[in-house]
Amino acid sequence: MNLWTITAVLLLAALAPCGWICLRGSPQRPEEDVMVRLMGLETAGTVDVLLLLVLAERLHRTPFFDLALMLALLTFAAGLVFARFLERWL
Amino acid sequence: MIAPAAIAVLLAVGVAAVWIGVLGVLLMPGFYRRLHYMGVAGTLGVAAIAAAVLAQERLHAPGIKTLLVLALLLVMNPVLTHATARAARTREFGDWRLQPRNRRDRQ
Repeated sequence: MNLWTITAVLLLAALAPCGWICLRGSPQRPEEDVMVRLMGLETAGTVDVLLLLVLAERLHRTPFFDLALMLALLTFAAGLVFARFLERWL
Repeated sequence: MIAPAAIAVLLAVGVAAVWIGVLGVLLMPGFYRRLHYMGVAGTLGVAAIAAAVLAQERLHAPGIKTLLVLALLLVMNPVLTHATARAARTREFGDWRLQPRNRRDRQ
């Protein structure tokens, strides 16, 4: 097992708790339920970008680094749009 | 050439920071305490793993793209944390600024 492979597997495993946060929300405090789910989504976005970086390094494919860059941009925009939407209209 | 041991240490620190952040978001009570842990994964984890990739690739094309990702993520995480906290406060109180009548703000 390569060092980068192990890192990729551990980062992939870290996505499971993020998915659980998105699914479960906050049952004890319903008023912040949606925001907790959004936070799970943003955390998963960060972990995803790191996972793509490590995978690109492991597979020795230079173009794959662009995927991480694009995902970082999209996560940023999506998080801001989601936060503003939840702030204003819901 | 940077020793593989240094890269291994950087990757271990990064993975540990990501896991601490994710578990903190999962387990901490209360929205704002959870929000703090998003920053652990978003700054220390990102910096360590990007540094490991940089140490491996040096400043060739992948290294420069990694630098871009690092800069973007380091800017993105505080902004996202701020926007999320602001949205949560607006939903709770109607406005994100200081609320003198609120117990949490007087502490």
